[in-house]
Amino acid sequence: MKVNEVPQDITYYEGEKRACYALNDEGKYVIVTSTGWSAEEVVNGLAVEELAANLEETRKAVLKGIKSPLCYHMERRQMIPEILSKTAGMATFRVKRHFRPEIFAKLKLSVLDLYAKALAVNIEELKTVPKSQGR
Amino acid sequence: MDKEITAGEKPFVHHHSAHCESGVTSALFRDKGVEISEAMIFGIGSGIFFGHLPFVKWVGLPISTYRSQPGAVFRKAAKRLGGKFVTQRFRNPQKGMDELKRVLKTGQIVGLTTNIYWLSYFPNRFRFQFNGHNIIILREIENGFRVSDPVLDHPVDCLTEDLERARFAHGPMEPHGFMYYPKEIPQNSDRRIACIKGMKDTCNMMLKIPLPLFGIRGIRFLAKRIIKSGDTLGFKEACRQLANIVRMQEEVGTGGAGFRFMYAAFLQEAAELFGSNDLARLSQEMTAIGDVWREFAVVSARVVKQRGHAEDNFSKAGGLMLICAGQEEALFRELHIVARKLKA
Repeated sequence: MKVNEVPQDITYYEGEKRACYALNDEGKYVIVTSTGWSAEEVVNGLAVEELAANLEETRKAVLKGIKSPLCYHMERRQMIPEILSKTAGMATFRVKRHFRPEIFAKLKLSVLDLYAKALAVNIEELKTVPKSQGR
Repeated sequence: MDKEITAGEKPFVHHHSAHCESGVTSALFRDKGVEISEAMIFGIGSGIFFGHLPFVKWVGLPISTYRSQPGAVFRKAAKRLGGKFVTQRFRNPQKGMDELKRVLKTGQIVGLTTNIYWLSYFPNRFRFQFNGHNIIILREIENGFRVSDPVLDHPVDCLTEDLERARFAHGPMEPHGFMYYPKEIPQNSDRRIACIKGMKDTCNMMLKIPLPLFGIRGIRFLAKRIIKSGDTLGFKEACRQLANIVRMQEEVGTGGAGFRFMYAAFLQEAAELFGSNDLARLSQEMTAIGDVWREFAVVSARVVKQRGHAEDNFSKAGGLMLICAGQEEALFRELHIVARKLKA
């Protein structure tokens, strides 16, 4: 890769820049900053969209009363039950059980507090999901 | 390159680097007055590698890696350059944070292993649950820390709360608040011996591991899987996996082409150090290989986007990867011979 081949296609890093190694005119390697590459946008976009789509599905399921808001907040933090159970200091089967809305509704404040701390949200937020799509 | 001040009133120059771990290690060496580049650390620490682990899943996708396991570059480079480091892990987050503050007060900058999701200064779309990001803490500020993240081109602020979460995140490869800082760094260690050790180790890892998942054999294995993946997995799943491979190559701070350009930079520096024409030529070859990897990324992106030329398909992407495998095999075989001849 030459210096003038370092991709500057798009501003993809929200104002940040990324370092790339490239050859300058004298054939020496230098670090050049890149603002974004369209090929990277495609592949990373796929992963980000997938996460967003899954999250949206869960949000709808919560509103329909199939899953508890806990499930939504876990997915929002890109966690899985195993990670959440370790972070909150609880058994994995309990976490999975709390995905059922009727059981989640009866949880004690102390348990909710553990989840709120693990997910970095406050207890009010934890009990609800946003009404509209988006983070 | 911003000027910063550490807690010990010492100036600190932030260098923008491609990869977090080699960037942090070279910054720790520089802080002790040993001028060493990121690429040099990467080469001495034998950072370049390839591995494909189809049975280890990360967010439901098999892991492909273009570098050695996290932590290895730091460990190997420190050892080969004769640096003594203090490394600590903690069970208790409070103790971990207190110890960090104590060390910072002595004027020492500290390297930390963190979870990238909880570092809120990162662009949102790069925040994934990954427990292997390395950063440098410069000093304590009001309810937070001044952070020199080598992947960003300027130092940033990080809240104490975020940092504690990032250091003590759970999941695969838990960091347990891992922190490291130099105790003793020799001012004139022999870089030539270290370079030769690094090169030989790299050649062994790329050529001699008797499993089909690692090194050159790993690249071939994955390339053949990609060629077949359109039929075996279905178009959508095959795209997900292909996209993930390209992400690992370009996305996670590799300096382009899955560290191949960074390694070429190392070979170039080593060529100057030894005055060796062989190494200079190998560096150019490595650059050519990196360009093929970039082409692989472009073709893969086109496949994923289902656009452009009809001839872009999984077999073409896999074919490019097979070319990379062939060229890299020849290169590392030659490097092995050249490295043995070099005089320390």
